[in-house]
Amino acid sequence: MTLALLDTNAYLRLAKRIKPMLGVKFGQKEYELTIPKVVEEEVHRSSRLRFLYPWFDDDEQAAERLAKQVRLSKDEKAQLLAATSILHNHVLNNAACYITKGRSPPSNTDCYILAFGQIRPAIVVTDDLGMHKLAREFAIPVWHGHELLRKMLSAKLISNDHVREIYQALEANDDLPQTWRVARHVAFKKIFGPPV
Amino acid sequence: MKKSLKTDAVRTSLAEQGLTQKQLAKDLGVTSQAVTNWLQGKDFPRPAKLLKLATALRLSFEELVQTSAKGHPIVAFRKKGNAKTTATHIAKAHGIGMLLKPLVPYLSEIQALRTLITSPSTDYHKLQTAVSQTREHLGVGEQAVLAYEHLIGEFKNSGAVLVPVLWGAKGSHENALHIGLPEEDITFIFLNLDTHLEDFKFWMAHELAHVYTPELSGTDEGEDFADAFAGALLFPQACAEQAYHQAIQQTNETDTIHALLQWAIEHMISLNTVYQKIQQYAQAHELPGLPVKEKSIHTTRNSNHGSLISAALFDPMPPEPKLYIAAYENTFQSDFFNAMKRMIHETGTGPSYIQQVLNTSLQDATALHKELSH
Repeated sequence: MTLALLDTNAYLRLAKRIKPMLGVKFGQKEYELTIPKVVEEEVHRSSRLRFLYPWFDDDEQAAERLAKQVRLSKDEKAQLLAATSILHNHVLNNAACYITKGRSPPSNTDCYILAFGQIRPAIVVTDDLGMHKLAREFAIPVWHGHELLRKMLSAKLISNDHVREIYQALEANDDLPQTWRVARHVAFKKIFGPPV
Repeated sequence: MKKSLKTDAVRTSLAEQGLTQKQLAKDLGVTSQAVTNWLQGKDFPRPAKLLKLATALRLSFEELVQTSAKGHPIVAFRKKGNAKTTATHIAKAHGIGMLLKPLVPYLSEIQALRTLITSPSTDYHKLQTAVSQTREHLGVGEQAVLAYEHLIGEFKNSGAVLVPVLWGAKGSHENALHIGLPEEDITFIFLNLDTHLEDFKFWMAHELAHVYTPELSGTDEGEDFADAFAGALLFPQACAEQAYHQAIQQTNETDTIHALLQWAIEHMISLNTVYQKIQQYAQAHELPGLPVKEKSIHTTRNSNHGSLISAALFDPMPPEPKLYIAAYENTFQSDFFNAMKRMIHETGTGPSYIQQVLNTSLQDATALHKELSH
């Protein structure tokens, strides 16, 4: 089993329309979606996120997250903190490389999520371009949100209608990342048609 | 920057984990010779291997890697009340400093010719000499009220960039943060605008002292000097002398405090600063001190707080991003947001960068980013 670990934005882009989502195994590698506790904390800290995503604290959503939260041992936490500090120091010492092309330097929380794969078999799902760059440099497996959507579609966990709905909603909310725009007519050619 | 592993830490951790060097090499997917080369400082692990090594040994970057301190930011806090500075506060400020480095090339040309205090001392008479010369340099008479504008202009002339922030009146650890970047030869001074009017000028003067004494930055000695310098600059000997002779004639504590309060209001500084400077003047000249208990000063001060600088500047609060950005240039003569704007336009930096360097919410950072992207 491989955990597919969603960062805050990846979770918020998908969770409202895919139910159940967390804890469901899919694909040959038995991917299982989960979100780390820091995502929960990040949303609760931000009045903007709570305002934009009022469904986040609906009973059904909150219960699903709580039930599927990964519990860590003391030793795993020590390993995770060690790995996080290596990643974050790399970012801070190379900050100039993380401020170009729409990127921001990954924060300590972002590094914590990326570090997770060091202690459990996991792949991180994020649309943050800074995190993708960091992941490439440290050979950490990482997907864009649209890549997860493609895997879920292939595994028949979601339908073409789901994909269409999610794209429409993100576009309506002005929250469709550039990488998703590019993927629309490539990864989802059967749904949206070829590039014009 | 040449890096090497802290071999003692590695060996200790290997023993604690019950691992041999050979087993470690196997776990990391490298040869034993590669690990030997790392430990002998002949080679340094590639990023992915360093990550696996730190995880296997449960060692943080600081515990595992020996780096040169050259170029590291130097940080100093102006703490709130009795707030304790922890390793987390220092790490966070250090992180902000590292993130500010890419912004420096986008700042306008920095003043290279600067004022320095070469032999900083908290001795009363030496301090008064330094203050007297500083006031002369600023074009302010011995008894004149030092205005915000004098201090703001001097920061700009001293290669310092002001970064006024809204960190709240309660809850945060510091009211001002000084981050020096030695390699870039520049200092960023974060000033919390959610600060009472009568305290704000003191903190600005405190930070100016740090700018004048870069070699003391980050030390207790530097903090002591900055506190002493700030008070003396805002209420120098000439003022303290006048205030002393007026206050000593009062017949009771209430009238004495009232007299001191008038001086505090006139100079837009706290009652405590006026009181302390008068007492220091009296002591330095072997005169009897004012017959006022320090506790009474604090009681009066706490019941007479002025409004917050942020409210005075931006009413109504919170300010619109456009107004906040304009205040940087117009009120604080700071090139910070101009540089940020240039950087965003040239490189496409994302909003989370602003969130991290200003230590603000994603909501505010996104709004500022949108405004700066226009």
